[in-house]
Amino acid sequence: MYDDFANPWNIRLKWLYLLGVVFALLMPVFYTIYISFNQHGFGARIYDFTFDWYRVVLGDTLLVVSLKWTVYLALAAIAATIPMALLSAKFYKRTRRKVAFVALMLSPLFVPADIMGSALLVFFKNLAIGFVWLDEALGVYWFDGWFDLGFLTALIGQVIYVHPYAFIVILITMSRYRVQQTEAARGCGATAWQAFWQVEFPQIRVGVFSSCAFVTILSFNEAVRTALLKGGFDTFSNVLVAQMLNIGMSGESYAMAGIMSIVSMLVIGSVIVFTLLRTERLERRARAMAEPVMSS
Amino acid sequence: MSSGAISGPARAGGGRDIPAPAARWRDYLGENGVQKWVFYIPVVFFLLFFAAPMALTVVWSVFERTQFWMEPGFTLFAYDNFFSSARAENYLFSMLHGAASVVIAFAIGFPIAVFIRRRVTRVAQHRVILLFILPFMISELVRVFAMRPVLGRHGIVNSLLMELGVISEPITVILYSPLGVIIGDVMSFLPFMIFAGFLALEAVQNYIFEVCDDLGTGRVRLFTHIILPLAAPGIFAGSVFIFVNSLGVALVPTLLGGPGAVNAGLIANQAIVALDFPLAMAISTIMIVTLVALLYIGHRLFDLTKVLEPIS
Repeated sequence: MYDDFANPWNIRLKWLYLLGVVFALLMPVFYTIYISFNQHGFGARIYDFTFDWYRVVLGDTLLVVSLKWTVYLALAAIAATIPMALLSAKFYKRTRRKVAFVALMLSPLFVPADIMGSALLVFFKNLAIGFVWLDEALGVYWFDGWFDLGFLTALIGQVIYVHPYAFIVILITMSRYRVQQTEAARGCGATAWQAFWQVEFPQIRVGVFSSCAFVTILSFNEAVRTALLKGGFDTFSNVLVAQMLNIGMSGESYAMAGIMSIVSMLVIGSVIVFTLLRTERLERRARAMAEPVMSS
Repeated sequence: MSSGAISGPARAGGGRDIPAPAARWRDYLGENGVQKWVFYIPVVFFLLFFAAPMALTVVWSVFERTQFWMEPGFTLFAYDNFFSSARAENYLFSMLHGAASVVIAFAIGFPIAVFIRRRVTRVAQHRVILLFILPFMISELVRVFAMRPVLGRHGIVNSLLMELGVISEPITVILYSPLGVIIGDVMSFLPFMIFAGFLALEAVQNYIFEVCDDLGTGRVRLFTHIILPLAAPGIFAGSVFIFVNSLGVALVPTLLGGPGAVNAGLIANQAIVALDFPLAMAISTIMIVTLVALLYIGHRLFDLTKVLEPIS
């Protein structure tokens, strides 16, 4: 038998290893941000701090327009994904075919972006051709332009990609919710919607908001599927990929990578801090309630 | 779910009598009408926009190629084109790189999952896992791109090693090479091995470890006979994720692999750029068949649903 805690260095070394891995994963990103603030760019011996590269990026009309499209797409992804993830989580709780359902919902996690993007691209092109044929057969223009590559197709691609993450986060939060509470609410005469909105939702709200944050970041960062399905507009990630491949490692590319990293870290950092503070508060409340009441 | 106090359309609304058409509408929009079907929206959406396109890749892969598109028919030309060219060899090489990435990610990541589950207090476990969410949530594009200034000729690694006098010349084999691709894959997908391993171990009750401790089980035996079999579904799920993404994410070989570096995703992309859609679909089919076969074998061997036990 062994005891990790017998030698304090044993446990300290393990913590050091864990933090070392976190550091190794984050270090390249921080280094990129560090370079993005250097007047002379990557590889220079001199380091002069500047915001110039960021000014160039934010002063570029093409990039600002791409940033706007990115925001629109992220907002649309939230609006479409979160209600669907909620429905999926509730469906998972009540269905008897859990394995088949969860396999369908989580499979997109395992399909690489380029493969899914290619399959959806050909699917949408075929759908568009099919609708044109239908228009011609019926002698109408009702289906003209349906599923032509554009905002809608890019959105569908993103929803398929981000939905599994939102579904898992909401499912984890829902696993702590007791279904008897809904039954009690229904017993008191509440409709299904009232039971959900007034009893269940307040308890899973944190998971729903965390999902919103995840969806925002994943949508903001997504590049491959969107590049294949977007049609005529560009997102921020698409411009960055094009710049990396065509121009290489310019100061502008570092600033763009810096913007993407800083936005992601701010959003996820806020979620983590909020979650930790909330857990702390709930634990404190639970401890206070567990303490015996002293009579005077 | 209980149907509650409201028993029928005619008495809906707390017992007030409702005119027949309104009651019918309520019935139609009620829990046994439209509301019931609302829950099927995600299923329909995923069947239509995920399962159908994936399944149809098989059909499109045997279509005839035209100048800019494809037309219905049956030909195995795309598969012949794939298997009789360097593409098949490249695919096998990318499978090899994927397998190497899985082994390295397991060696680095799984001990962390075990440490968090066994040595960190229950309350703090999820907080420690959150540390790995942060890098995972930063764009993969940025993370892969960021490896260039780290691994490059004048990057941090070479500069540091030269400053310390460990090397006199920059190491060039770590970027724009197969090793660069493996490093990129491991750095991109490592957190998934930690999450999946931890999730599988979270389902294991503490008393199992306590029994082993009471019996004085050694570290190696505990790892090989207890931890590894119990965490097998999570390890397998994490491994499949890393393997398939190593095969299919074109970004890593594009940015870190240098000239000639390819994987299945990149070959599919190149086929689309060349307007050879049946070839792109044939590659997608091969990837999907590989994935489904791996998941099926894994499910038969380890019952992958166990990974989801803590959240269901």
